[in-house]
Amino acid sequence: MNKFFAILYDTFLEIRSGKIIWLYAAVMVVLVLVFSLFPSIKIDGTGLDDINLLSPEMASDMIAFFFNGFFGFVIFLMVFGSAWLLPSYLNKGRIELVLSKPIDRFKLLSMKFLAVYLIKSLILIAMSVPIWIVLSIRLDNFSGYFFIGLLYGCLQFLAVYVIVFAFGLFGRSGALAVMGYFIVGIVTGLLSNREVVYNFLGDSVWKTIIDIVYYILPKLNEMDANFKPLMTGEGFIDTFSIYTTFGFSAVLFLLTLLIFKKRDY
Amino acid sequence: MIKISGLSKFFKGGARGVVRALDDVSFDVHAGEIFGLLGPNGAGKTTMVKLLLGSLNPTSGTASINGSDIATAGARGKVGFLPENHRFPPYLTGRQLLLCYGGMAGLSQTEIKSKIETLLKLVGMHEWQNTKLKKYSKGMMQRLGLAQALLNDPAIIFLDEPTDGVDPIGRREIRDILLNVKKQGRTIFLNSHLLAEVETVCDRVGVLNFGKLIKTGPVEGLISSKPIYSVETNELTEDIKAKIIESFPQSNFENNTISLSAENSQQINNLIDLLRRNNINIVAVAPIKVSLEDSFMRLIKGEETHE
Repeated sequence: MNKFFAILYDTFLEIRSGKIIWLYAAVMVVLVLVFSLFPSIKIDGTGLDDINLLSPEMASDMIAFFFNGFFGFVIFLMVFGSAWLLPSYLNKGRIELVLSKPIDRFKLLSMKFLAVYLIKSLILIAMSVPIWIVLSIRLDNFSGYFFIGLLYGCLQFLAVYVIVFAFGLFGRSGALAVMGYFIVGIVTGLLSNREVVYNFLGDSVWKTIIDIVYYILPKLNEMDANFKPLMTGEGFIDTFSIYTTFGFSAVLFLLTLLIFKKRDY
Repeated sequence: MIKISGLSKFFKGGARGVVRALDDVSFDVHAGEIFGLLGPNGAGKTTMVKLLLGSLNPTSGTASINGSDIATAGARGKVGFLPENHRFPPYLTGRQLLLCYGGMAGLSQTEIKSKIETLLKLVGMHEWQNTKLKKYSKGMMQRLGLAQALLNDPAIIFLDEPTDGVDPIGRREIRDILLNVKKQGRTIFLNSHLLAEVETVCDRVGVLNFGKLIKTGPVEGLISSKPIYSVETNELTEDIKAKIIESFPQSNFENNTISLSAENSQQINNLIDLLRRNNINIVAVAPIKVSLEDSFMRLIKGEETHE
């Protein structure tokens, strides 16, 4: 555990030294302030019951709708904020010393991944909870399902970060890591609408190939469809996208470990 | 302590084909000695250290540290390392660096904290421990790197150009630290191109050139393999020089002085006889102290063969 805590501590200090941490803080503060200034939906009934302008269902929907977009935006920021962390770790002059420590390469890379993921997830939680509290007060709707949504947001970031991490290792560059994520994002976005693509293809062989690629690649868009139902207590509506996405993530992570094990530094 | 057997590392060199960074190198480093690995730039010194410490995977051959194969993390358990051209993370302070890298070596925070003060005092960095590394000079980085290498009480310390960028006073201090570390019974594997430094601190050396080990042995053995004498005369004509070269092909000339790498004392007497027969006045005959640098240069130029 000493080794993991050392890597966690180093990663925390590295993330803290980056400018993007201030952007996360600024986004949170601005949103908390904006929602604090919102007029309350509750009208004082002066002797009668207070009247809510929104039904609880509508308020839940609004919170779910907001956090769906918010998590998407924060995860997008975190791609930029975390893409450089592994490549900088692999820099000549730094990695040699790390590799000289008595840590197996598999464990070393896994611990680095976990350290970045834990800290970024904590940032996501730290940004979301104050906003949720303020928003819930203003909409007079506190729902524990928010935390399930928050957990799901962290899972979505896990699927995204595996891609960023893998491309960061393959290309040894933060820019390539971001580019890799965008390429996967664009391709999976197109594949999620593959029925449109079919219209341009007469050959059924191509359709089969596209289907196979679709089932192999992660389904980041489809995973998003679960968010609102989870936030409103309806549960998962598409578990297939979760299984295939995390299946892909597991294989990609294993491949990343194998490449790291074989590579010279 | 360190056993290296037939270790090779080849890199794909693009248009240059395969680059043989290390080619079938074998040698041992014994417990408690300071072993210096010498060689010109590109000889394979850093490749050797990187192979031993897990940064590179060998193409062929085996090596072990304290009996553990270098492919296993266990081989690096009681090892300290100061890499060449290291880039410590600039966002850390000196103290944080020791906490991070000590932890990665498997030490607990309590163990590290109990050693930090002593080590930082040893390398003269105590006052700077809470300053960010981005404000450190090259010499300060080297001293801190040395403290980092000593943090886990290593049995073997690998130092790759430890005095690179350090001023003469700092070099002297680092040298004293190394000798002190050696007194504690630890083994030091030193990569350096500073031959005077190696000559002062090392017990044994190995010389690498173009990825091949061309010599290993005690420093004294390397230096005094053949004594060199200087014979100063009043005048040396081209005719005389030709006669000397004919009898002593290993002679060199500088103005009126002959330097001769003699196999034995009889050779130098024969040279004196030759000069006297030709009525050359001899002004002085003196042995030349051969430095490690001279021996190294001769080795690299191929004047000597494998041990």
